[in-house]
Amino acid sequence: MGKMSPVPDEVSKPFWDACNEGKLIVQNCAGCKGNDGKDWLQHPPQAACYKCGTTENLTWKEMNGRGKIHGYSTMYDSRIRSLQEDQPFIIAVIELEDAPEIKMFSHLPGTPVDDDVPVGGTVQVEFQDTLGTEQKVAEWRVVS
Amino acid sequence: MKILVSFDIDGCLETGDPPGPITLDMVRKAQSSGCIIGSCSDRALSSQRRMWDDNNIVYDFVSPKYALGDVMKQFEADKYIHTGDRDMDEMFAKKAGFDFYWEKEGAEEPWLAMLEESKD
Amino acid sequence: MASTEMFPESRYRKTEGLGVWEHRGKVAIVGLGNSPTSRRWDGTLETSLGAWTMLAAQKALDEAGITVDDVDGVIACDKGMGDDWGGDASQGRGYFEAPYDSEDGLSGVSAHWLVKNMGLKNVKMTYHAPGCLSTALVAAAQAVGDGEAHTVLVVRGTGNMPGRYHQTPGNTTGGNGQWTNPWGWQLIPQIAFGFDQYCRTYGKNHDMMAPFILNQRRNGSMFPEGFYYQNRPDDLQITAEDYLASRWICKPMNMNDCDLPIQTAGAFLFTTAERAKDMKKKPVYVLNHVTQRGVVRSSLETMAETEEFSAHIARKCYEGSGLTASEVDVFNPYDGFTLFTQWFLEGFGWHGVGKGEALDFYAGDIRVEGPHPFSSSGGNNGNGRTRWWGHYDTVQQLRGEAGDRQVQIKHETGISGAFTPGHSDWLVLGTSPD
Repeated sequence: MGKMSPVPDEVSKPFWDACNEGKLIVQNCAGCKGNDGKDWLQHPPQAACYKCGTTENLTWKEMNGRGKIHGYSTMYDSRIRSLQEDQPFIIAVIELEDAPEIKMFSHLPGTPVDDDVPVGGTVQVEFQDTLGTEQKVAEWRVVS
Repeated sequence: MKILVSFDIDGCLETGDPPGPITLDMVRKAQSSGCIIGSCSDRALSSQRRMWDDNNIVYDFVSPKYALGDVMKQFEADKYIHTGDRDMDEMFAKKAGFDFYWEKEGAEEPWLAMLEESKD
Repeated sequence: MASTEMFPESRYRKTEGLGVWEHRGKVAIVGLGNSPTSRRWDGTLETSLGAWTMLAAQKALDEAGITVDDVDGVIACDKGMGDDWGGDASQGRGYFEAPYDSEDGLSGVSAHWLVKNMGLKNVKMTYHAPGCLSTALVAAAQAVGDGEAHTVLVVRGTGNMPGRYHQTPGNTTGGNGQWTNPWGWQLIPQIAFGFDQYCRTYGKNHDMMAPFILNQRRNGSMFPEGFYYQNRPDDLQITAEDYLASRWICKPMNMNDCDLPIQTAGAFLFTTAERAKDMKKKPVYVLNHVTQRGVVRSSLETMAETEEFSAHIARKCYEGSGLTASEVDVFNPYDGFTLFTQWFLEGFGWHGVGKGEALDFYAGDIRVEGPHPFSSSGGNNGNGRTRWWGHYDTVQQLRGEAGDRQVQIKHETGISGAFTPGHSDWLVLGTSPD
């Protein structure tokens, strides 16, 4: 897939650097807890905690790299030029096993484009090259 | 030689919005020369049919843009041509195994030259 | 007047708990105007967005029976939804003589451009509102209610330039796009994904949208201001077969679920309830206005968030107007992507429609002659992309001037808004200020 390369900024650089090292990390505010009492995680990363609005307790937490297919749509006529040659392609929404409230996207490499995309199926992260730079991005492959 | 010619409408045929350079007389000429003719457009199928009917042209097919492959299955021909004004036309034509001509190239009626050559 | 400020964020009504709007019934819409429509700009200055916005504005003034000298405020949604003209002479797209010597007047129309070129010499207030004419409309309601101006023109020109619409080129992407563009996640996949989630949750399918689409086109066939009515009446006669055969844009969204980009301009005239009494048209009173700016938890809007945003909009509309769901006669929520209109129908509970029931409701009698004349405007789907047909129709319905589209049920109140459940602005209107 002809993926555009993300251009990291000050806030997102740790996330993208981790992708280049084969790690999936998510921003964590050590001062906050979610409604379920678990760690407060947020993605995409932001300059301040989404919940308390402060910056001092923001850290990063590594995820286990597993997730679930939350849903998807199938793109036939994308506005993104670099992806147009690969149409149609799946755009799936992945929820992380460690933090289902966190969602990421995937083309589900290896999964055929048809109406049988396994919604609810388990996926494993991998890291893919992109078109414009050396930056890698998180991708997800169905494992069950 | 049998040639099937598929016409996009908007930006391609003179009846399109915007009007294109290919006139209905060119379509009639293609048909009278033995070509299988029809339209393949994002216009509704009923709207495509109405366009041909309103202009007294007995079309062989109307089709959505993505279904050129089905048109190929339906008609036997030596050459399959789609002419249009968008990269989507080109993409769908190539995927279906059609030769693609941009609308300005189509207005030069390349199918007539092909038929002429095939007689030699 | 060389530039215009944005209408202050603090003046939009975004939250619940604000109570009945302080200016309820004290502001009225007294004029509507729309230019002709076309598929794309033909490059002549007579059909530029600037020229057409002035035309629409003049029509709105004529409806009210007032002149340019009576206008003391202009609020514009100053950018159109199409691409820029570009001004690149080497590409054959250079700018023109003033006042068409920049993008202003070509790909959008600013408030100060209108003031200058329409000769609105008594204007003392101008504002811009981003993204949608709906945003400018709610700003006008608040500005007139606050007494900042007494007679306000609200305008937008929105166009479609020659060439392919809205492409994202390049091999790199920064800003918010770094999280979405590598996968091609933009608004269209979001809407398609949301509809797919809806169908999975409630056991529905895309085919069930056909009656709504066909009815939108039918309503468009009775809307003389609309694009299809004026330019492509054939496309208003599409059949279920046509709808279901149209090509996928992003499955489960097909081409006929998307609105058609067009070139046109619209104008609405607001004034005080007091002044409205002396104008030509029967006033339509603003009973409330609402703004929605939903914040999502992660990279996209989940279905749970969409449903909550829709319900939140409805609660705010009802709270500020004092109306209940059963008291809303005309309902024109946005349909620019038809696959999100069900959220509004269910969120507002119009005609008792609950969660997961919208697609079954579409299969009933939603014709304007019938008991449930949903989206009587025909929306963008029936008229081309503007995001204001719903407001326009609601005003006409409440005046009793919707022609063949006139609903046969009671038409004393109405709600209209655009654009998405997460980001939209809404008007609650009534024939009576009380």
